[in-house]
Amino acid sequence: MNLIGFRSLLFRECHRFLRLWNQTLIPPLVTAALYLLIFGYSLGSRIRSIDGLSYLEFLIPGLVMMSVIGGSYANTSTSMYISRFQGHIAELLVSSMSNLEIVLATVLGGVVRGLSVGICVAAVTMPFANIVILHFWTTLFFIVAVAFVFSCAGFLSGIWADDFERLSVFQTYILTPLTYLGGVFFSVDMLPPLWRGVALANPILYFINGLRYGFLGASDVGIVSATALVCVVGVVLFGASYAVFRSGYHVKT
Amino acid sequence: MTAPAISIQGLSKQYGDLTALHGIDLEVQPGEFFGLLGPNGAGKTTTINILAGLCVKTAGTVQLFGHDLVREYRRCRELVGLVPQEFNFDQFVRLRVMLVFQGGFFGIPTPECHRRVDEILRTLDLDDKKQSQMRHLSGGMKRRALIARALVHRPQLLILDEPTAGVDVDLRKALWALLRELNAAGTTILLTTHYLEEAEALCDRVAIIDHGRIIADDSTRNLLNTLTRETIIVTTTGGLSETSLAGLADYDPTVNGGGDEVRLSFDKASTDYNAVLRTLLEGGIDVTSIRPVDNRLEQVFLQLTGRQGKA
Repeated sequence: MNLIGFRSLLFRECHRFLRLWNQTLIPPLVTAALYLLIFGYSLGSRIRSIDGLSYLEFLIPGLVMMSVIGGSYANTSTSMYISRFQGHIAELLVSSMSNLEIVLATVLGGVVRGLSVGICVAAVTMPFANIVILHFWTTLFFIVAVAFVFSCAGFLSGIWADDFERLSVFQTYILTPLTYLGGVFFSVDMLPPLWRGVALANPILYFINGLRYGFLGASDVGIVSATALVCVVGVVLFGASYAVFRSGYHVKT
Repeated sequence: MTAPAISIQGLSKQYGDLTALHGIDLEVQPGEFFGLLGPNGAGKTTTINILAGLCVKTAGTVQLFGHDLVREYRRCRELVGLVPQEFNFDQFVRLRVMLVFQGGFFGIPTPECHRRVDEILRTLDLDDKKQSQMRHLSGGMKRRALIARALVHRPQLLILDEPTAGVDVDLRKALWALLRELNAAGTTILLTTHYLEEAEALCDRVAIIDHGRIIADDSTRNLLNTLTRETIIVTTTGGLSETSLAGLADYDPTVNGGGDEVRLSFDKASTDYNAVLRTLLEGGIDVTSIRPVDNRLEQVFLQLTGRQGKA
């Protein structure tokens, strides 16, 4: 294994988003602060407690997960797309790194960004509700695992997209609606039966509730099913990322 | 016996219905300065992209220094440095950072990588630009940066795709000197170029590829010896009259240079310089200089491909 190559690529992926910290780390903080202000303070006071939690407490894990999903997805999708667009993906293809090393290092770069953004948002928002993380390792697991899932999704999207419009298709029409409908702002128990059934088909609901369990010990879904789902989706998307990259689709001629 | 630097057998590449390479065979020996020439779309870039790992071959076998390109891909990539034609950089990264990362991708330990990068930057006269973002470098600097990136892992085979396309005369000469130096130090060089005089000046051996087939593969000298027609430019004083031009009709005259230069061509097998000189003198033409047309490889190329103009 080319460990130095793997480490170099992982470091380059981190260097890329840290270099642009004002575009990659700060905006999720601003967004989370705005949501906290609007939903948490302005509207939250009119909402009854959920499972014994104040609305502000309920909201914060969802906001953290939103930023993790957005950060990890954006890192790999833009990295892959821009490197194809500018042609410097050739730097990797001509190197002595294997396809597996390239895919894994790129995806882990997205995980580091997701984790960084998640930690920043958690650190800024948690004091507003005096939250103390109840299950630390569960919290860390869900942040890392979900970042891995969406880092793989971004990787695939960055390879698939032929232009910036296509690059935004997945985010605009799939990722954003599923995230907003994934229980960031509401509990599925607040929905009528039909919409509750629809909401339970959304995998992001399980990811957000998994993190909420880690933070607060409360969840709309079983923690085991949420853990199993994130693992299965992660394995499937990573396998797909590796297979697509190895095939040379949109990468080699 | 030393394995060839490049050994290509029956290499084919299919893009949908288009066959870019028709089972070509090619061999380049270690230490050679080899030119791969051909018109646009002939298959040059496809060939070198397959060697570098940017393109997947459809059929055939490729070995680099005795290592199979597919089975021993890591070793092969370590042996090859590619200088592409396009500036394919991350435009926002700094030059030195880019080179250090590139060395890392080849598994070079960080301290060694820093040392090599600084040495290459000095060699290519880029030392004072090492902290500049790629987008802020001039075209010539970017061209040198492409070479620097290809040299970081010290490849034994350097592949250059049109390295002097669009560069000025000074930089071209400097790049030629650098390539000669690398070749003299033992690096095998495979060069594709549109500038046939470049191949004539640099390459020990040349292959000409056309429509995905190798149509010539020989030493540059042997290829030049296949030329049967010689072209010269004669400079005269006082211009050329209609009568004197009529006397040169056998040599296919073309007047240029404000009327005091005439370009003549003749078959070396049936005509020699003495006969041409006699015709000029008998026609009362006052000759001040005669010079052969330099770009003779272009004539070989045109003769073989049947094309007009530049390669």
